[in-house]
Amino acid sequence: MLREAIKLSVHGEEIDPKAVASEISKGFFDLGLVYKSTLWILLIIFLIGVVAFTLKALDGGIQPNERYNWGYFSAISAFVLMGAGSAPLVATALRLTKNHWRRPFSRIAELYSLVGILVVFLYIPLLIMLPPIEGRKTIWFTDQFPGVPVWWDFLGILFLVINGIALLVISGIPDLAQAVYQSNGKKSTFLKPMVRWWKGSQHQWNIHRLSLISLGATYFLLLILMQSLINVDFVMSLIPGWKDAIMPAHIALTGIQTGIALVVLTAFLTKTFGNQETKKYFPMESFWSISKIMLALSLLWAYFWFAAFMTLWYGRMPVEQTILKTFMFEAYRWPFLLNVFFSFLLPFLLLIWNPVRKSILGPTFVAVSVLFGAFFMTVRLYVPAFGLKDVVGHELMFVPEAIGPDLLDAAIIFGVLSGVILIYMLAAKIFPMISIWEFKEGLLYQRVRPFMRGNFLVVGRPE
Amino acid sequence: MAIQHKWGMVIDIDRCTGCQACVIACQAENNIPVNEKVDFLSRRAKQWIRIDRFWEGEYPNIKARFIPVLCQHCENAPCEPVCPVFATYHNNEGLNVQVYNRCVGTRYCANNCPYQVRFFNFFDPKFPESLKNQLNPDVTVRSRGIMEKCTFCIQRIRRAERIIEGKEGRVLTDDTMRNGNYNPACVSACPTETLTFGDLNNPNSQVVKKSKNHRNYKLLENLGTGPNVIYLKKVDAHYQKEEHHA
Amino acid sequence: MQEGRILSAKRINNDLLRGVFENPLRYWLIIGFLAIFVLGAMGAAGYMINRGLGVTGLNRPVYWGFFITNFVFWIGISHAGVMLSAILRLSKAEWRRPATRAAEVLTIFSLLTAVMMPLIHAGRPWRVIYWVFPYDFSRGIWPDVRSALVWDPSAINTYLTSSILFVFVALIPDIAVIRDRTTGIRRKIYGVLSLGWRGSTRQWKFQAIAGILLSALILPVFVSVHSIVSWDFAMAISVKSWHSTIFAPYFVIGAVLSGVSGVVTVMIFMRWIFGWEEYIRKEHIESLAKLLVVIALGWFYFFAMELIFGIYGQEGDELATKHMQMFEPPWVWFFITFIVCSFCIPVPMWLFSGVRRSMFWMVVTTILVNIGMWLERFIIIVPALARKQVFSGTWYTYAPSAVEITIVAGTFAMVLLLFLLFAKLFPLIPIFDIKEGQVLRDEIQVGRRKVPAVIRED
Repeated sequence: MLREAIKLSVHGEEIDPKAVASEISKGFFDLGLVYKSTLWILLIIFLIGVVAFTLKALDGGIQPNERYNWGYFSAISAFVLMGAGSAPLVATALRLTKNHWRRPFSRIAELYSLVGILVVFLYIPLLIMLPPIEGRKTIWFTDQFPGVPVWWDFLGILFLVINGIALLVISGIPDLAQAVYQSNGKKSTFLKPMVRWWKGSQHQWNIHRLSLISLGATYFLLLILMQSLINVDFVMSLIPGWKDAIMPAHIALTGIQTGIALVVLTAFLTKTFGNQETKKYFPMESFWSISKIMLALSLLWAYFWFAAFMTLWYGRMPVEQTILKTFMFEAYRWPFLLNVFFSFLLPFLLLIWNPVRKSILGPTFVAVSVLFGAFFMTVRLYVPAFGLKDVVGHELMFVPEAIGPDLLDAAIIFGVLSGVILIYMLAAKIFPMISIWEFKEGLLYQRVRPFMRGNFLVVGRPE
Repeated sequence: MAIQHKWGMVIDIDRCTGCQACVIACQAENNIPVNEKVDFLSRRAKQWIRIDRFWEGEYPNIKARFIPVLCQHCENAPCEPVCPVFATYHNNEGLNVQVYNRCVGTRYCANNCPYQVRFFNFFDPKFPESLKNQLNPDVTVRSRGIMEKCTFCIQRIRRAERIIEGKEGRVLTDDTMRNGNYNPACVSACPTETLTFGDLNNPNSQVVKKSKNHRNYKLLENLGTGPNVIYLKKVDAHYQKEEHHA
Repeated sequence: MQEGRILSAKRINNDLLRGVFENPLRYWLIIGFLAIFVLGAMGAAGYMINRGLGVTGLNRPVYWGFFITNFVFWIGISHAGVMLSAILRLSKAEWRRPATRAAEVLTIFSLLTAVMMPLIHAGRPWRVIYWVFPYDFSRGIWPDVRSALVWDPSAINTYLTSSILFVFVALIPDIAVIRDRTTGIRRKIYGVLSLGWRGSTRQWKFQAIAGILLSALILPVFVSVHSIVSWDFAMAISVKSWHSTIFAPYFVIGAVLSGVSGVVTVMIFMRWIFGWEEYIRKEHIESLAKLLVVIALGWFYFFAMELIFGIYGQEGDELATKHMQMFEPPWVWFFITFIVCSFCIPVPMWLFSGVRRSMFWMVVTTILVNIGMWLERFIIIVPALARKQVFSGTWYTYAPSAVEITIVAGTFAMVLLLFLLFAKLFPLIPIFDIKEGQVLRDEIQVGRRKVPAVIRED
């Protein structure tokens, strides 16, 4: 009995394949009062952020020599790119490993690609504010190539977002079709013509599967490429004398950590505030398994940080010591300490305990911590980089003073974050948040069979 | 009480003729085996002080520029923290000291020296019979497997401190160093007074005065090694004329 | 995963113990052949210690050459064990079962071989204890913990100890099987080694927990070992192309690529030598090949980053180093061979399941990978020293001598020799792991297809 109870808590109640579509579709078309009022509040905060942005733009203008005012704006934009840009990886990368516990997270992760639209708009002013390449070291090596770096960065972000949205749409169409045919409201009648072409034939499912695999692969490659390029262009290139080969990889890793954190937090909120019927779609096993990845990533974060720190600190070269003092130990000491605490210490110290991992609240709490950690990381990297006025020089010779946020910066930060949540909540009403087809696929491979003296879950390996 | 010494050297490139007297003197003083042709070809020749020669200009206006390079006795020496056995360390007189009998021969110090002034004994040294009496009894003869480099002739410095400061109770000035032949061999041998050696903590010494010259610079300063060897730039009449025109 | 048949326990025991109990002539011939190489290498090393390091091709500025390349290479191969054993055990991948012990054993022997390299290449090997032993031998002077060379023995010895423990814990049930089949002095020795294993439920439970704990604890050790070895290079500020922050993860992922390829090579040889077609099946090699694709792509990212940021700084000596590596003969040929053998040939080939399921092509590609990875270490170490700083008068090159080539060849022979000797004493495929896999096998009917399945114990 005890063993049965434990298995139940891990794998969740048994899900009836025939009921999956109707259960998930039930909550899809109704926008309750709470949902609508949340959307309105978020919209107001977002508009306040837009107003603050406009005020700041009118004050100094959006041009390269005004860059030092916009450090916090670049930090929060990088944070959104990092988090929302990496979130779809939770769906695509885990799909390649062919495990079953990823299924609750898939659609939640894919929906973050729509936030990419906000990212594109955030990066337009930022790219305008980049100083010309002449006289400083960049990853583009030459300023003779047309369009470097602004246009190539922009195209890269654009393609990344388009790729992500394509992933979402292809993944979501079968579910949208299911939801539309399951309900009878005004909205579903309106959507029927758009989904009529999806018949669920063998041919269509094959194309569906292949496109998800290829689009997932290109998304991963583009994401790593764009994270590397953006971070070098916006941080390392703006600090003369800073050569750090691991920094792009470190930030890409933090991005993946943040993406997973976003997905876990969203899954928790969906389970807690969603419909009663859909709670069983988020079994503890999914949180347990992803917590192991979160533990590994927090350790990797510390490892990458230490590799950078140790190499720069050991040799006692003046420019490297100045960089360490700027980004870690003197000027931006507090963001750095908070970064280490929230990205590594707290997640690590919590996740090494099995009871924390094997729960739902544990990984969620760690996810919130990781989000704070990633925010402080972007602050400690982007603010000093944007704040340095003279970027054409041989080496950074002095430790610049720390720049603190002002009221407009705070308003912009909250506005951007509200924008992210707003877009996400709207996106969740375009495609259902739980992936119907993926769940049904998973149920095909799971059986409960007697073995030895009890009943155990038998999991098939999809070929 | 004697002042704490901080030994340093000033090298005036303007005076260097590239005669290599310093190289030979160092070799004789420090029991370095004679470098034969095969040693140079296999790049194992040991020259604790070397003259780097640079060619400038096109024929027929070619000029040779000489710069003597020796161990810089860096305050922040990159060779010191990487030795696994503490065979090289910074002593309290500002010298980078090499302890022969502790050296295991991992050669990491030589890899980490940016001035390339550390030498390894690939074989046991072979001295011709006739030269064995010429070996300096104050300096160890290094066997195979040991790292060596310029020591600022620490045997002479120690003798100076022992005799002048210890026995006679006098102060080590530039004159006492020169008269007693306590300067490093290269400094004593240099015919043009390119090399000047002395106590950087003594405000009256020549090294302090010369190091304040406006021509001063240090090698590879951006690495932050903190060398105790100060170079004085060459004055090039030809070059100055161009500056006038500009 | 289930391409094989269900086999009886008796059949499994007999098959997997074939190496221990059978004595074919060809086995002893191979041992003899390898022993000749090993003895030759030992002789060369003795000659070198007697005469001095001048018998090598080392010079000023290239003070580290073949031996350090070999050291880093074997440390790299040693990372296979943990990757396959620990990570695949923790992620419950079924296809790890035949690979784990071979990987762990390869780890131990390649580590031992790697450790010998810095010891013999020291100028005065008879004084090396000053370096590696935490004791003040003369006048109260301890080893200098600021030096990356002192971090090396700590890391490597920790890894060696934990790997030996790891192999031993997994070996205990199999030693008991051999104990029960032997008599006399052999039975006594195996009896002592098996620590009184009876196969009771309690003992199995402890053995499983020990295995899981060791798997989890050995992971940070494994990451730290090659990171610390890479910091031998990265901490040097004078050698510009070594002073890169990315060295630690770059070396680790290169080691994993090198090591897993080594394990695949070794497993395919095992399958051929011992006739283990039922146990080392195409599905295992195919899964390993897919893992290799992922690892190789990750490695390529780090390689590209290291190259790009080497050029990023636009520093004279670093650009000269990259120029020497990529454009000056013979280094240009080494570079092309390295990138073609490590990545350009194997990875596209591994994308095809025909290649992944062909034993011949997998052996060829994995050996190519290791040839390329050995050259990669060589290219990282020597040109950097040959183009050090801006004193171009001291720039030179390097060519190995016969002594160095003999010793390096001898290390390859030594690892193979130790591996084959181990096979004579213990089974190279864990018997109990295979049996556990058989017990947990199942099948599910999905539509018209039967899909292989696994019973989940949790």
